[in-house]
Amino acid sequence: MRPQFSIIFFTTLAGLAQGLLFFAALLNLFTPVLPTAFLTHLALPMSLGLLALGLVASFFHLGHPERAWRAATMWRTSWLSREVIALPALIAITCLIYFYAFISEVPQWLWLALLIMTIILWVCTAKIYQCIRFIQEWSHPSTLTNFTLLGMTSGLILLELLLLIWNKPIEGLEDSGLSIAIFCLLFVSLNLKLWIWRRNKGLKPISNLATATGIKGNPIRQTSMGLMGGSFNTREFFHHQTDRVISNIRKIILLCAYVLPMILIAISINTINIGVIALVLFIHIAGLLAERWMFFAEANHPQNLYYQRVS
Amino acid sequence: MSSTKQLALVIDLNVCVGCHACVTSCKEWNTSGSAGPLTDLNAYGASPSGTFFNRVQTFEAGTFPNTQTVHFPKSCLHCEEPPCVPVCPTGASYKRKEDGIVLVDYDKCIGCSYCSWACPYGARELDQERQVMTKCTLCVDRIYSETLPESERKPACVMACPTSARIFGDIHDPESDASKAIAERSGYALMPEWETQPANHYLPRSIMETIEAARSDS
Repeated sequence: MRPQFSIIFFTTLAGLAQGLLFFAALLNLFTPVLPTAFLTHLALPMSLGLLALGLVASFFHLGHPERAWRAATMWRTSWLSREVIALPALIAITCLIYFYAFISEVPQWLWLALLIMTIILWVCTAKIYQCIRFIQEWSHPSTLTNFTLLGMTSGLILLELLLLIWNKPIEGLEDSGLSIAIFCLLFVSLNLKLWIWRRNKGLKPISNLATATGIKGNPIRQTSMGLMGGSFNTREFFHHQTDRVISNIRKIILLCAYVLPMILIAISINTINIGVIALVLFIHIAGLLAERWMFFAEANHPQNLYYQRVS
Repeated sequence: MSSTKQLALVIDLNVCVGCHACVTSCKEWNTSGSAGPLTDLNAYGASPSGTFFNRVQTFEAGTFPNTQTVHFPKSCLHCEEPPCVPVCPTGASYKRKEDGIVLVDYDKCIGCSYCSWACPYGARELDQERQVMTKCTLCVDRIYSETLPESERKPACVMACPTSARIFGDIHDPESDASKAIAERSGYALMPEWETQPANHYLPRSIMETIEAARSDS
């Protein structure tokens, strides 16, 4: 598939906000660990800003953004429609928590609602891709696991950065503890990514020219796709990059999204400071953008069977 | 099979000569009809790009000397279980109950392209200028026309085909020409593995069976 930059930015930014909100909700679910002032000054405005940015990015994906409201109507059948409802719902719950945090205490049920809503949005986003049966790279539960894990990882790095900026000791929350949790999440995400890449490599396409055309005789090859100029079909379903670019981007993903952040976290575990964690977050996000680019690039669409040869 | 109507095309690969008359007549009718305009960008430049509902592709099968060149027209197959319809977030993509034609409501389409991802056949094309999804309509504005002569109330591609390689009809009516062609000449569907139940069928080349038989004899 052609990597869609609007969606790359949307899923990365929204994932980051979801991760931050997920851990904020988790920490405050039973006893309020994160102080109200930290929430109202840093965590909540940051999440809302990121969600808003993601929302803006997603509009660039549409040919007719002025009709975007229509996309909320088919929630009975379409995961995209469900996502279009889930994102404003998450923003609304976050705003409500912001409001409660200002006037009094945030009630427990609201934290629970936030926790559930972040997960619902991950499910909706991932299912958009996972439910397309014939894109075999996407049609697997690992799509949801990967989206969720990476959102949590980036969100926790952001939470640690915000806590360092806050610079006041918080009871029950050690910087080194957070660093260890981030390291573990990075390690699990890295292994999942390597497993996904191994799985993708071993995938046998279910559709081939024989099933796509039904022509008897072996081998079958295309001699003309029926057009010499471009078309939607030749643009939308392929990444248009060489194998070398793809393999280089894979290396960038491994380094930036996983390995470098892990090394930086490991060597600074007892001397953690804003500079290091800001660098970790920056490198990790750059890696995540590349990872989302590759998510599209490595997905093989069976329609490409019909568009192989120009003559 | 249900008792409702399902209009479809049955394409006879025995007689398609790859002349592209169906492609040009489709473009001509639909760019000026209710589905249009089908935009062409840079039409006279080095890399033209345009929206088409129908393409004729060419495949070669077999090993020398037993090879065959097969011209293969491809348009929306109007699946009975269309995967492109449930994924549409706005309901712009729909399948008509009365005749099974899969259509796009261009006034509701937000141009998100999700339906085209969900179609394994690559039957849908986003119009670059109008930024809405377009696809074969089975010439819905011809077949029910009250102003065209009755003999012309068929899809433009069917009218244009010089070898009658395209049979138009209701595949739920066992007495239609389309149903009979499928039944008598082993009409098949594309990519049956995804259980989309395409309404359009293809009639296999009978010469291929002769070739296969010759190969197994030798």
